[in-house]
Amino acid sequence: MRIRCPHCGPRDNGEFSYLGDAAPIRPDGMEAPPAAMHDYVYLRDNPAGPHRELWYHGAGCRSWLVVDRDTRTHEITGVSSARDVALSRRTGEVA
Amino acid sequence: MSDGIETTWRPRSAWAGIAPVGRHGRPGGEPGLTLTLREEFGLATLIAVKGRTDALRQVMDARFGWSLPDPGGANLTGERGLVWSGPDQWLALFEERREMAGLGQALEGLAAVTDQSDARAIVRVSGPDARAFLAKGLAIDLHPRAFQPGQVAVTALAHMGAQVWQRDAVPTYDLAVARSSTGSVWSWMSHAAAEFGYDVRNAAP
Repeated sequence: MRIRCPHCGPRDNGEFSYLGDAAPIRPDGMEAPPAAMHDYVYLRDNPAGPHRELWYHGAGCRSWLVVDRDTRTHEITGVSSARDVALSRRTGEVA
Repeated sequence: MSDGIETTWRPRSAWAGIAPVGRHGRPGGEPGLTLTLREEFGLATLIAVKGRTDALRQVMDARFGWSLPDPGGANLTGERGLVWSGPDQWLALFEERREMAGLGQALEGLAAVTDQSDARAIVRVSGPDARAFLAKGLAIDLHPRAFQPGQVAVTALAHMGAQVWQRDAVPTYDLAVARSSTGSVWSWMSHAAAEFGYDVRNAAP
């Protein structure tokens, strides 16, 4: 499997580390009820199909990436910088 | 004050006791590649302060006449210049360490500057078999249509962190690794280069 890093180009997956689902957004810990924090910390979907996930390019540019991967085929349909995703989330644009 | 204190400490090459100068590997014929052990260079990482990349670009151009490379690029003239090493991060290369004086002050407020001259070891890989040699350890495409002079990759050589940039079409590459990894790097290099026959040289003083 290769991941096309937006900074470095296509690289072997051995250069990357997998973190997990990119969807959860940390609730405000001072405001959120325990159930919301429990969901954020522990509960993950485990889809057979398209999955949006976080990878770290540790042996390359040391950037966090958001990767759209099909868990059945490992087909990767999109890679973007996690920083850009977070910034666009903050400004309300779609990454 | 340190004046007048005598020390027996002496500068020591990153490759001292590790890389023997001379002809090695396949005997006879022209060597397939030359490994030149670089010394005395100045090296610093620049990490742009958030939102100040354009200002950093202007100061580097005005003070050094250097342009910040785009991602994956190396803008070098001789032994000096800038090499991309990550988003908003570059390596500044100087032929001699003393040329770095004042770099931190010049870039104050624009970039975090960290001297890496003693942290990295650099070896120059050049010759007709240089590409085949590096391809045995780097999981990137080194074919000229994918990687050319003026391009850089931050990647791993035989699973050890490495930054490699191509200098010319001979081909010649500079390979920078952590100084602490030179023993393991050389162990890989000496085995990988043996089939081609290789010369090991010290960089000209």
